Amino acid sequence: MFKHLFKLIWNKKKQNFLLMSEMFFSFLVLFAVFTLLVFYYQNYKKPMGFDYKDVWVVSYNNSLKTKNTDSVNAYYQTMRKNITAMPEVNDISFCSDNIPFSSNHWTEGVTYKKVETDGVNWFTVDANYKNTLNVKLLEGRWFEKSDVVSKYKPVLINSDLKEKLFGAEPGTGKILDRGDKGKDKVKVIGVIQSLKLGGDYAKPAIALYNLADTGSYHWLGKIMIKVSPTKANAAFEARLYKLLANYMKDSNVEIEHMVNKRTEVNYFTLVPMIVLLTVGGFLVINVALGLFGVLWYNINKRRGEIGLRRAVGATGSSVSNQLITESMILATLSLIIGTFFAIQFPLLNVFDMPAGIYLTAILLSIIFIYLLVFLCSLYPGKQAAAIYPAVALHEE
Amino acid sequence: MIRLQNIEKVYRTDTIETLALNSVTLDVAKGEFLSIMGPSGCGKSTLLNIMGLLDAPSRGMIQIADKKTDNLSDKQLAQFRNKTLGFIFQSYHLINDLQVLDNVELPLLYRDTTAKERRMLATEALEKVGLSNRIKHFPTQLSGGQRQRVAIARAIVGKPDIILADEPTGNLDSAMGNEIMDILINLNRNEGTTIVMVTHDENMAHKTHRLVRLFDGSQVQ
Repeated sequence: MFKHLFKLIWNKKKQNFLLMSEMFFSFLVLFAVFTLLVFYYQNYKKPMGFDYKDVWVVSYNNSLKTKNTDSVNAYYQTMRKNITAMPEVNDISFCSDNIPFSSNHWTEGVTYKKVETDGVNWFTVDANYKNTLNVKLLEGRWFEKSDVVSKYKPVLINSDLKEKLFGAEPGTGKILDRGDKGKDKVKVIGVIQSLKLGGDYAKPAIALYNLADTGSYHWLGKIMIKVSPTKANAAFEARLYKLLANYMKDSNVEIEHMVNKRTEVNYFTLVPMIVLLTVGGFLVINVALGLFGVLWYNINKRRGEIGLRRAVGATGSSVSNQLITESMILATLSLIIGTFFAIQFPLLNVFDMPAGIYLTAILLSIIFIYLLVFLCSLYPGKQAAAIYPAVALHEE
Repeated sequence: MIRLQNIEKVYRTDTIETLALNSVTLDVAKGEFLSIMGPSGCGKSTLLNIMGLLDAPSRGMIQIADKKTDNLSDKQLAQFRNKTLGFIFQSYHLINDLQVLDNVELPLLYRDTTAKERRMLATEALEKVGLSNRIKHFPTQLSGGQRQRVAIARAIVGKPDIILADEPTGNLDSAMGNEIMDILINLNRNEGTTIVMVTHDENMAHKTHRLVRLFDGSQVQ
């Protein structure tokens, strides 16, 4: 029977072309939607890598006039002491502007064994960064005071960069070149768990953390403050603001809560996803209605054939099954073509996404199209089964 | 071979009730070639559809090949039609998207047969109707007479005991009609196939063993 149906479909290829095109394009759109959904879901499942609750972010513009490093250092150390002295503060960390959930990025390349890896996120952080964000150390150690005088500049890398550079080998102790010049060497002293800097749905980026030295305070612009969840309130926020504003008289000070920043960054990720899902949803409804209409039309056009098949020995259910199978064969042919195009994405490593995401998206799109075609052909198939052979043959 | 007793067929709509067949009783013997005649709308095709189990009577009993068909399920009816009955229609009812051979194979698809057997039986049937040189053609590439011969090949491919032909020469000119009639007569004579044929053509009807006339749903001869 399959061979018979293939012949029938092949001989009607012109009529079936439109239906197959519709299925093919639906598959491609669904593939795009599912790729995004699977990508977001896989990212969502991954741990955040740090505690953002009860962390406040102070942004300031570094307006200190003096160029004297010791003075700058003393200025910020005094400020650190003043803030830490507040009972509501558990920890504070000075760091570069590219804090989690911000839109600031600083990327550079690193070279290991003459292979350069681009797009590494560089963070300049002080020694308190780990405790302020409760970052998980996976291997090696965090920064120590003695690191300031070490031969190579000590750095920590995240687990994603470690995997990319060294695979299964430990990262600790490895020497990397900053950029590709080979002049500025850094030594990996530890590996931390990757942080989802772009929010719940973002992929953790490859990252490298270097210790802020006394010279860094010239340009650092963020302070992250871990506050006590029970003591920190609006009154404390007002006092903190007053303290900072009085201390940094020529600076614009802004205090934000990292929880709010996370909501904001998630919103920016979710909005395009919701728009795409809505567009995709409407498209699927259109395709479903189109399929339903075409199948319905086909059945009405083929009433004579249905009547004949009933006359020569087909049961109502076999007629219905035949029409459903025909639709499924058409879907299979469209999906084969669609999969050929979709499979190029993991093969050519388009958008640098893991192959698993594309393959899962292909699988989900195939299942979805089959389900859609099955459901859309179910009712017309049932209607075809109900056609009375004598009536259908008489109409012809 | 076919026994119809007090067959009545009423078509009902919300407002109208039409009596298509009124107490028709008919026996068709094994190997008989029977023709049914009558004016348009007298119930000839309805009677043939009822004999072919394509339609159910409102009242009455049908017995075909010693089997009562009243209580057969959809599946049993389909199997019975497939094995016992062959159909020929005025408008051929060929599937234009299938080649001649595939059209002839159609009844065998609903039987437990292999592709090889189907091909062999279909080729054999096409040889009987003189169309073995047209197996790769599509119906649209054939003349009316050739199409009807394909339809006959399809009707006989499963070697049924009974062939029901609804105006098989209705769409053909007299020469082609005679050709088709000769094939049916040969089938009846050589294979012993029982044939019931609805026709408007007196000449064709007189070539058969017996003629039954219907008028307003009742048997008049």
